[in-house]
Amino acid sequence: MEQARLYPRSPQRRPWRSAVLAVAFAALLGSASAQTLTMAMAAQPDTLDPQVTSATAAFQVAKSLYDTLVEVDQSGEIVPALAESYEVGDDSLSYTFHLVEATFHDGTTLDAADVVASLDRIRSPDTASPKASEFAAITSVEAVDDRTVVVHLSQPAPALLATLASGWGAILPSEKVASGHDFGNQPVGTGPFSFVSWQRDNAVTLAANPDYYQGAPQVDEVVIRFVPDSAVQLQGLLTGEFHVIDTVAAADQAQIESNPSLALVRDPSGLALVAALNTRRDHLADARVRQAFNLAVDSQTVLDVAYGGGTPIGTFMEAGSPWMPASIEPFAYDPEAARALLDEAGWDGSVTLDMALPQPYENHIQAGQMIQDYLRDVGVSAEIRIVEWGVWLSDVYGGAHDFDVTVIGHTGKLDPTGRLDGYGTEADNYPGFDDPEVAAWLEAGARETDVETRRELYANVLTRLHEGAPFIYLGTPDRVHARSADLQGFWITPMLDSFDFRTARFE
Amino acid sequence: MTRYLLGQALSFLVTLWVVLTLVFLGMRALPGDAATILGGMDASAEQIAVIRERLGLAGSLGVQYVGFIGDVARGDLGDSLRERRPVTAVLLDRLPVTLALAALAFVISLAIGVGLGLLAGLKPGGLFDRVTTLFATAALALPEFWFGFLLILLFAVNLGWFPVLGLPPTGLSWQASWHLLLPAVTLAIPRSAQVARLTRAQVLEQRRADYVRTARSKGLAGHAVARHIAANALPGVLPLLALELGGLLTGTIVVEQVFGLPGLGATILGAISARDYPVVQGVTLLAVVVYVGVNWVADLLQLVADPRLRTA
Repeated sequence: MEQARLYPRSPQRRPWRSAVLAVAFAALLGSASAQTLTMAMAAQPDTLDPQVTSATAAFQVAKSLYDTLVEVDQSGEIVPALAESYEVGDDSLSYTFHLVEATFHDGTTLDAADVVASLDRIRSPDTASPKASEFAAITSVEAVDDRTVVVHLSQPAPALLATLASGWGAILPSEKVASGHDFGNQPVGTGPFSFVSWQRDNAVTLAANPDYYQGAPQVDEVVIRFVPDSAVQLQGLLTGEFHVIDTVAAADQAQIESNPSLALVRDPSGLALVAALNTRRDHLADARVRQAFNLAVDSQTVLDVAYGGGTPIGTFMEAGSPWMPASIEPFAYDPEAARALLDEAGWDGSVTLDMALPQPYENHIQAGQMIQDYLRDVGVSAEIRIVEWGVWLSDVYGGAHDFDVTVIGHTGKLDPTGRLDGYGTEADNYPGFDDPEVAAWLEAGARETDVETRRELYANVLTRLHEGAPFIYLGTPDRVHARSADLQGFWITPMLDSFDFRTARFE
Repeated sequence: MTRYLLGQALSFLVTLWVVLTLVFLGMRALPGDAATILGGMDASAEQIAVIRERLGLAGSLGVQYVGFIGDVARGDLGDSLRERRPVTAVLLDRLPVTLALAALAFVISLAIGVGLGLLAGLKPGGLFDRVTTLFATAALALPEFWFGFLLILLFAVNLGWFPVLGLPPTGLSWQASWHLLLPAVTLAIPRSAQVARLTRAQVLEQRRADYVRTARSKGLAGHAVARHIAANALPGVLPLLALELGGLLTGTIVVEQVFGLPGLGATILGAISARDYPVVQGVTLLAVVVYVGVNWVADLLQLVADPRLRTA
């Protein structure tokens, strides 16, 4: 009887089978080691040149491409970065930075000339940087040797380190600066990731920089996708297309928290949410009226409902800030006291307030509606007008300041000058708060190098802003983002809100 | 023939000029100051003034208009105020996505629309006919954004057959056509309803024609008669198809938003919000060129399809 073949034909007769197996195996090995982290963010950079923009979205992406002399760590402290150490001159008119060894993505080595070129470029009128005024105190930048740079100032500038730690303090390669390189579309820096491509309205692709001075990143590639809709971001997170999303609607938080393969991350933010009151208007000129509005609104409830939670504030500074004086308490929720105060101030009940709310911000619009209700309870009527963002910028925040009440958030700044600049001079702030003493304190504070004296000056300013109440103070919401549970090491820079992938890894 | 072509060219130029002028005036009539908006919340008054100067927004309306028309005549569409690079580069970046999407949607709506319309018309009163009419009415009533989200929820989130977002991060490629299928279907379904209804009506009209009665009485088989009916019905559908294609190429805004596709629709929305005048003007110019072009091609195709028109 014929034996059936017990064994298949020898491999030489079927070479394709082993070849297929080999390729599949290699692909499996290859794909296991090529890790791509995909993030979805709502806004989109306008440019990747950190010196010509002020948009947060630009710095969120630029964070991975460039480094700064000093940087902000996870606890919000300013720590050394490209400058491994620095000294301040005795007269506080010079800063000496000592540079680490690092290389740019184009292979050139970091040296003092790069720092000089970068700081000169951002101060140059040709660059027209929106952040140039933060470097105004610098008179010159000098390269003492390859690894040492001295920055000379015209007056003491305690806010300088904060500026140098921000995204616009990025250090660019001097050869490319000199040749007029287009950093906006072809960024080159020392950052943990180098630029691969930017598909506008779609995604930015970054590749790990193996020579990064703090150590190579643990993911091979970062793809940042632009997804304006939080619902679509959430869908992508659920299907695994995204590993991190930056926008979580308050209503979706519970769903993410109850899902074991996802993680909801809450960090303190630097945001100060306020309802600005146009103090230029006759009916809002009396500080008692504005204080009454603060007493009439239950800020904790507004924070919880419209912004997913947060901490109330009593003045124009984010909750938990080291500059917030301990003596200032948030206004209590006391409608009785509010009515009494309005009576005392002779509030004219026939006035209808014009509340302008900025269009794409659902949370501000909802907060505005709640404030309208609270005000109605104490006999103040307000009419809501939804305004498109561009118009809001031109006519409410800027221009003719055409509003009685508006709701907006003010991003955190590393130094109080960033937030409070102009808040004593009517023409320089949008609620029109005018107080010559405050203006004088702010001016002194910008130059004061003694920390205690500085703290006192800003405490005075903030106390005035509490009593004068040019805002209905709402509070500081949490900065919430969501990620897949297996992603560790990704964090968002405190105050600056930029994305840090340097220690990101999949467990 | 030359007179005909010249006439066409002239009417195209006049159309283009009128539309561009309307867009120019319309954009500048929008409330909000472009320089302030481009400067953002943190810009000081001096910085806004610098932006105004640099971007040519400082002159009077008349000066800006003349400059604009002159530039367009020379083929210079200017630079995007937001992206600080030529508008032509911006358009070329986004155009392929919209083209691919529109082409795919067109093919789908053609296949479904003409197919259903023919089948329904050839057997009026039959089951197919009733189903088609029902489908047509329902499909026409669907709002695009709702239908799009529904498809995402069902096929991308629940079944996982499709990715949630429009394009892979590397951009347009052959694999990307899988990504474009859901948005294309969203666009195609309402339009296929229109096409189906018109095709069905054309077929019904042809069935009543004398040649059909003659053919049948001469014993011509059913399917052969159907072929003649179809061939005579289709030219009547061509103008609608041209309108549909033109409409598709210029009407993808909603679907691009829902599916996160980086095409022309998304671009013009963002540009209007940011008062990026050159980009809005550029996209409009492109839309006019495309629309007029498509209709012109449709006219030519009609001449090809229907010999009776050639001796006009």
